[in-house]
Amino acid sequence: MLYTVTHTTSYSYQNPAAFSQHLMRLKPRVLPGQQEVRSSTIRITPEPDSLRPHHDMFGNTAHVATITRPHSTIDILATSQIERAAPSAMISEASAPWEDVRDAALGISTRPVPVEISPFAFPSAMTQADAEIAGYARSSFAAGRPVLVGALELTARIFEDFTYLPGATGSDTLPVESFALRRGVCQDFAHVMLAGLRALRIPARYVSGYLRTIPPEGQPKLAGADASHAWVAVWDPVFGWVDFDPTNNMVPGLDHITLAWSRDYADVSPVSGIVIGAGHQILSVGVDVAPTVPEKGQSQAQSQ
Amino acid sequence: MSGKDQPMTGSALPPLFDDYGPVRPQRRDEAFSGSGRPRSHWRGFFDWLDTAGPEGYARSAADLDRLRAESGIAFAAREDEQRADSLPVILSAGDWKALERGLVQRAELAERALADIYGPGRVLREGVMPPGLVYASKGFAAHCTGWEPPVQHWLYVYEADIARAADGRWVVLADRLDTPLGDGWLIANRIATSEALSNPFVGMGVRRLATHYAAFQSYLDGLMGWEGRLALVTGGENDPRFFSHAYFARYLNAALIEPADITVRDGAAFVKTLAGLKKLDILLRGAQDRSLDALHRPDQAARGAPALSMATRSGQLISANALGSSALAYRGLAPFAHRLAETLLEADLLVSDAPCLWLGDPKARAQVREEREMWRIEPINQHTRVNRSQKWNSREEMEALLDLEGERYCAVATPRLAHTPCWEAGRIVPSEWMMRVFACRTADGWSLAPGGVAARVEPGHPPPDLSFGKDVWVLPDPAERAAPPITLRDVFSDSHLRRTGRDLLSRVADELFWLGRNVERAEATLRVLGIGLQYYLSGNRADAAPDVLCDLIAIQTQTVPPTPSDAAFQAAVRALVQDSGEPASMANILTSLRSNAIRARSAISEESWRYIDRLCSDSRWQRDTSLARSSDLLRLITDSLGILAAFAGSAQENLTRNYAWRFLEIGRRIERGVATAKVAERLAGQARENEETYLRAWLKLSDSASAYRSRYMMSTVAPAVIDLLVLDETNPRSLVYQIERLEYVLEQLPRDTPYRRPEHRQAMALLTAYRLADAETLARPDEAGGRHDLHALTARTRTDLGQVSTLLSRAFFAHSDVAEAVISQARLGEGGP
Repeated sequence: MLYTVTHTTSYSYQNPAAFSQHLMRLKPRVLPGQQEVRSSTIRITPEPDSLRPHHDMFGNTAHVATITRPHSTIDILATSQIERAAPSAMISEASAPWEDVRDAALGISTRPVPVEISPFAFPSAMTQADAEIAGYARSSFAAGRPVLVGALELTARIFEDFTYLPGATGSDTLPVESFALRRGVCQDFAHVMLAGLRALRIPARYVSGYLRTIPPEGQPKLAGADASHAWVAVWDPVFGWVDFDPTNNMVPGLDHITLAWSRDYADVSPVSGIVIGAGHQILSVGVDVAPTVPEKGQSQAQSQ
Repeated sequence: MSGKDQPMTGSALPPLFDDYGPVRPQRRDEAFSGSGRPRSHWRGFFDWLDTAGPEGYARSAADLDRLRAESGIAFAAREDEQRADSLPVILSAGDWKALERGLVQRAELAERALADIYGPGRVLREGVMPPGLVYASKGFAAHCTGWEPPVQHWLYVYEADIARAADGRWVVLADRLDTPLGDGWLIANRIATSEALSNPFVGMGVRRLATHYAAFQSYLDGLMGWEGRLALVTGGENDPRFFSHAYFARYLNAALIEPADITVRDGAAFVKTLAGLKKLDILLRGAQDRSLDALHRPDQAARGAPALSMATRSGQLISANALGSSALAYRGLAPFAHRLAETLLEADLLVSDAPCLWLGDPKARAQVREEREMWRIEPINQHTRVNRSQKWNSREEMEALLDLEGERYCAVATPRLAHTPCWEAGRIVPSEWMMRVFACRTADGWSLAPGGVAARVEPGHPPPDLSFGKDVWVLPDPAERAAPPITLRDVFSDSHLRRTGRDLLSRVADELFWLGRNVERAEATLRVLGIGLQYYLSGNRADAAPDVLCDLIAIQTQTVPPTPSDAAFQAAVRALVQDSGEPASMANILTSLRSNAIRARSAISEESWRYIDRLCSDSRWQRDTSLARSSDLLRLITDSLGILAAFAGSAQENLTRNYAWRFLEIGRRIERGVATAKVAERLAGQARENEETYLRAWLKLSDSASAYRSRYMMSTVAPAVIDLLVLDETNPRSLVYQIERLEYVLEQLPRDTPYRRPEHRQAMALLTAYRLADAETLARPDEAGGRHDLHALTARTRTDLGQVSTLLSRAFFAHSDVAEAVISQARLGEGGP
């Protein structure tokens, strides 16, 4: 499936800003065999003085843009063409017992220690659990249970027990709060699930991405489709990282596009930055994920 | 071991040691060998003690207390910081050499370990250190990982808490990697001790610190070049290490800044000064890494220096120490230090740690549960104790916390420690001890300052927080007696000569402006209180009439209704002295004043600062304010006015006429102008029956009564008083004088265009209005007795001065007005139109 993703972020400021600097994680990742990035561009108005990419600890591409002329508005337009293939089949019953996965991440059982997964096994700033969340997660992980079976069940339970309700939480809401409320948006669902998994030291990461905006005919529109979306991936030694979407109770497939991943939202928010002298800011964000039919005769491999 | 106590050979010992008790061979004593004889490197000190005698020593100890208190005051140390034991700990050359090797190795180990966990990750991959110790740490900075190229060094300064175990081995109690820079205490302590105990200090040839710091300074100079800018960022005046930051910054001639002074533009860090943004080359970091760079740590509340890591990443800023160093700070290295040394240094660890278990390991948690009494639980990366008071009383809570985040804690035990002589209530007693030592990079690698700050340790208790302490004297190797060393004071003056006239930080200019305003505000309140009380006490019927007193007092208060009665007067006096809800109360003014002065400390002289400190710390302000004790209060007011006059004189005489002086002066003139305008309105705005009383009060308030008498030799009449106190440009208390001075100073502020600055123009226009006025017109009342022209002039003065103040802060104190904000972020799942 070929998608065109447009992600616009617009700020308008009360006073002209003298200076602003933006940190963007807007370039979709390549997932070998699952997701190819045909093209990816970021256009910023006004033209920034500099736009520089670098890689973060988790392999995401971050761009830093600096604007040093007075400006009252900024528009960031990220456009990507993504080819999404169905993820390879996953047999959750065939995954490793969760304790083995935990011990690998903690460096107890395997040498060399799989240090790529270890950073995802511990509570981070926005995924700190309390005893309640830990207990909630634990009941899906009886001794010896395959890790992906437990993760599937936890996904379903969060979907059942929580209400999707925009406005009930904020972008800095911690999982202990949204857990107590039993409501939130995809970011909260993901953080609660991560807090629970990591309380057990099961390596799990936060995935930032998009959902197809208009569903295929006859299917309902998924929650979170008009904006950036977030879900969770759990690690297994055989299947690797496997995605779970607790907001929609599903294993992401053709409709999910991965942008970046990290320990939590704080590491990987799509656009953040600093601004000097702007006063009050008004922010608007728009995301559109549209399937594209490649025209005949044209080269499929457009590059940027 | 015989088990029998060895008596000390008393004959050779000074009488101060009469109570010292027996030295046991099982417990190392710094001053005595196992057989009870003084160790050879203490002999020089004992000889001196013998000559000085108990009284002589007590005098030196008192001198030392005084010297420490003075340097403490000079850099705004907290009061409890100055009490410390006067007896130095003396270490032999050989002993120190071994320790130095061990700690240099340790600093290098910490450097390599940080470089590895933020780089290739070998120690984690190979299982030398468990991943949880690093990745669960709140100090771990993901945004500092995998940089290409990596920072040149993670650590530039290193501090350790160490102790000598009873068996004589050195042990490390803590590695201070994140915010070292406690060197200020070491240096101040050394300067005081070497003065108070100069005889033995010089006689024994104690190794000096100056060479070490000169090497550090020239290393920094080499890194940043001649034009480079060095700053020390502190958490601020409430940071427990503020004294050391202020002192060390002054010593190294680094600008003392706060996180909010820093701005990062396109890969470089700048400080905000009056002359615009100035690039920063080296940042000595006294503020915790976790509190900086809100762009990359949006979860941390602090908003200082967003994007700071980008400046280090681009190589344009050296952060000493690097952001992210707290991940292994405090006890992070301890549990696996031996294995780390084998892997990273391919060497044996020279100095071991005090027992320390990492509680991310379930086996360690079980062990601690079994041996509860032996261990203290502490956060592994921070010097704060959990449940310090309750210890294991709330055991369930602790166990629950450890189950959830055991990786972030460790269990530590302080072993039995060696003894050293300590001075206590006029005698010398043995006590367990520990010390903090200080290392830094130089062109020749790590250098350990020969000395330390030591403290007594209560057996079984955690080591104390160090500030001032026992000085640690290291004796020179007799084989290599060096050339006459440079002294610390030499370095001080030398570095001052090299770099002067740095650009004034915007924040400091702001503080100076408010310092000027608050000094005036204090004086205004004091004068009103003083005149009021004088009248009250003199019993002169007309002058002390309750309505006059109330009108006087009402000039300063907002909270007390001006009903003319004794009770109202009493309430107003109390409010003006102690009421924190009263804006012009001394309680409020003194608090702000002290804070302004501390934060502008780098720009004012030590003498000027001492006056402010003396004024603000006068305990008499807390006392009873009832009118029955009004003569005490009056004396306090007179004393305080005297100190303010001394401050004014000191600022006038000792400050060069640079921007610092100008902002102080501007603040002062604006405040005095506004206050005098208010007084004129209140006391002369209305022609009254008993006007003479009011006019006399005004003359006294303005300290111009004798000037009036010498000029007019007659009764007090409105036009003459108004001329003297409003329009006379030669009277420093007149309104026009304030405006004239203000205009003069404003003219000298930096400007970007050939035209006068807007605030300067405003002041000029106002000055002209005064010059065009005449006293007869101003004094003429209308039918209702109101002096319309005077009112118009004073009202305009207050408005205009307010505008000048606003324009100034907009132009120069940009940090407070032009906010630097973290851009609000799109909420996932909630964007969209």
